[in-house]
Amino acid sequence: MRLPRIFRTTPFRLTLLFLALFASAASAFLAYIYVATAGEARRRTDMEITREMHSLVAAYDRAGTDALNQSLIERAASERPFLYLLMNKDQKPISGSIQESPVEKFNGPIQWTSFQVTDQDSQGHTVKHPARGLQERLSGGQILFVGADVGADEAYVNKIVRALEGAGALVIVLGLAFGALFSRNVTRSMVGLTEVVDAVRNGDLGARAKVRGTRDEFDELASGVNEMLDRLERSMAGHRHAGDAIAHDLRSPLTRLRARLEAAYLDVEAGRGDPTQALAQALEDTDGVLKTFGAVLSIARLQAAGAAPDPVLFDPAELAADISELYEPLCEEKGIDFAAEFSKDLQVRGNREFLAQALANILDNAVKYTPKGGAIMLRVRRRSSGEIEFSVTDTGPGVPDDDRDRVVERFVRLENSRNQPGAGLGLSLVAAVAEAHRGRLELAEGPGKVGELGPGLRVALVLPRPA
Amino acid sequence: MRILIVEDDREAADAMERGLTEAGNSCARAADGEEGLAAARDGEFDVMIVDRMMPKMNGVQLIETLRREGDQTPVLFLSALGEVGDRVAGLQAGGDDYLVKPYAFAELIARVEALARRRETGSVQTLLRVGELEMDLIGRTVSRQGKEIDLQPREFQLLEFMMRHAGQSVTRTMLLEKVWEYHFDPQTNVIDVHISRLRSKIDKGFDRPMLQTVRGAGYRLDA
Repeated sequence: MRLPRIFRTTPFRLTLLFLALFASAASAFLAYIYVATAGEARRRTDMEITREMHSLVAAYDRAGTDALNQSLIERAASERPFLYLLMNKDQKPISGSIQESPVEKFNGPIQWTSFQVTDQDSQGHTVKHPARGLQERLSGGQILFVGADVGADEAYVNKIVRALEGAGALVIVLGLAFGALFSRNVTRSMVGLTEVVDAVRNGDLGARAKVRGTRDEFDELASGVNEMLDRLERSMAGHRHAGDAIAHDLRSPLTRLRARLEAAYLDVEAGRGDPTQALAQALEDTDGVLKTFGAVLSIARLQAAGAAPDPVLFDPAELAADISELYEPLCEEKGIDFAAEFSKDLQVRGNREFLAQALANILDNAVKYTPKGGAIMLRVRRRSSGEIEFSVTDTGPGVPDDDRDRVVERFVRLENSRNQPGAGLGLSLVAAVAEAHRGRLELAEGPGKVGELGPGLRVALVLPRPA
Repeated sequence: MRILIVEDDREAADAMERGLTEAGNSCARAADGEEGLAAARDGEFDVMIVDRMMPKMNGVQLIETLRREGDQTPVLFLSALGEVGDRVAGLQAGGDDYLVKPYAFAELIARVEALARRRETGSVQTLLRVGELEMDLIGRTVSRQGKEIDLQPREFQLLEFMMRHAGQSVTRTMLLEKVWEYHFDPQTNVIDVHISRLRSKIDKGFDRPMLQTVRGAGYRLDA
C-alpha cells in the first residue's frame, strides 16, 4: 500500500524519527518523575509509620501493655492519621482502630505490608484506600501493627501519572501534526524544484525555480539551480548559434572568393587580361576566411572547455603594458591619442594568452570606431569589490544606453557577426574569454559628447578577485 | 631544400608537396607515423613537416622518438588543434614550430624556410649583417652604410628577426609569435604599423628600400 505523498516525504520521516527519539527521552524523564514522586511519597509514609511505631514501642517498654493500650486509645481518638492494632501472641486482636491485621502470615520480628483499608466517603459510600503498615513483635510477645492510609498520596501520584500520560499523547499528536505541516511546507518548496528538474529533463531549458525571497536553503538551492540553468542555457544557445554564425560568417567571404576565382578563370580562359589582381584579392579573402575561422574555433574551444586552460597568477598591468606597446603605434598612425593607466601590485589568475587576445580585440574594436582626433584610454585597476578590471574607453559613436545589455548578450551568443557586419567576432571572443574566467564583459558610456566626438564606449573586461 | 612531409591526409599532402616543389624544394612523403619514422631514419632532410594526429604513431611520439635518437632536424608541427597546451606539448616533444590548420600556404612556406635557415645559422653570432645593414647584438646598435640608426627595443627585436630571416618572407603571424610572443591572429594593421615605423627608420633617406612588403604573405628584408 502506498502512503499518501505527505507521509512519504523525508521531512515526515525525519519528524517520526525525532518524535520517536523525543518520546523515548520523554518516557525516561516521566519514569524518573514517577519514581521520584511515588517513591518519595512512600518513603515519607514509611518513615512516619516507623517513627510512630518507635514512640509506641518506647511507651510499651517504659510502662508495659496497659500504658500502650491507653496510649493507643488516646491516639485513635485523636486526629492522627494512623491505624493501630494490638494483638496477643497468637495474633488475636486486643485493641486498636482496625478489626484485624492485614498481615496474613507473620513470622518476623518486623514486617511491612501494603493493603486496602475500607472507608466511607462524604456521601456514605464505601471506598477502599490503599494503605501501608508495619507489624512488630513487642518484647512481651504481643504484636503491634501501625498503618497509614496512603490514599491521598496515591491519588496525587496517579494524578501526576495521568497528567504525564496526557502530555505524552499530546506530544505525539502535536508532533505528528507538526511533522505533517513541516513535510507539507518542505514538500511545497521541493515540488517547485522537482517540477523544474522534470521540465528541464523533458527539454524545456527555460524552466526556472521560484525564489520565494525567504533566503533559506531552499531559496539558495533554487537560485543555485536557476544560475546553473542560466549558464547551461547560455552555453547551449552559444553552441546553437555558433553553428549558424560560422555558416554565415564563412558563407559571404567564400561566395565572394568563389566569384573572384571564377571571374579570373574565365578571363584567363578567354585570353584576356591579367588575373593577378583577382588572385591577390582572392588570397586576401582567404586570409579573412581563415581569420574568422580561427576566431570561431577559439570561441568554440573556450566554450567547450568551460574554463580557461592553464591559468597562472600574473600582474595584469604587465600584460596591459605589453598590449599597449603593440597598439600605440596603430593609434598614432590613425591620429588617435592613446593613453594608458595601470594600478600597481595587482594580480589576476587566468590564461595570459587568451586575456592578451581579449584585450587586443577590445583595442581593435576601439581603434576601428574611433575617428581621427579621438582618444583611447586603456586602464587596469582593482574595483572596490576586489575584481580586476581592464577597461578601454574610446571617443567613438558608442552604443546607445538601451542597446548595451542586448549587445553584450549578443556577443555572448555570437550573434553579432550577423547583425553587425564588419564587427567580426572580436567582442564575442572577449565575452567567451570573460566567461571562461568566471568574469564578464561590460559596456558603458564613454566620456560623453565633445564636439564631433563621442559619446564613446567603455568596454570593461572584469575578472574575479584571484582566490 | 629536402623536406619530409608526414601527413595522413593525402590531399593536404599533395597540395603541400606541389607548393613546396614549385618553391624549389624536393619533397618526400610518409602517410603515417611509422612510415615517417622510417623515412626520417633513412634520409637526410632540412625540415620535417609533421601532422600531430596520425594513425599508428602520432606526430608527438614520432618526434620524441627521433629526438631520443639524436635527430635534430627542424620540425614544423601541423595540427587541427590549437590550444595553448597543445602547442606547448608539441614544442616540448621537440617540435620547433607549430602551425594550426587551416593555414595560408604562404604561412607554411615562410615557416618552413625560417626553420631551415635557423639550422644554417646555428652558431652564436654577435654581429648580423644584411647588405648595408649591420646589427651589433652586444652593443645593441644598428647602422646602415655606417650611419647609426636609433631604434626602440621592440623595433630592434623586430629588425633582428627580419635580419635573421633576410631574403625570406615572414608573415605577420610569425612576427607576432616570435617578436611579441602572442599566438593569436594579428589584426593586420597592428604589425603593419610597427613595420612601417621600422621602415621609416632604416629605409628613409637611403636610395633603395630594404624592407619589402610581400603581397599575400607578409614582409621580406632584402640585402
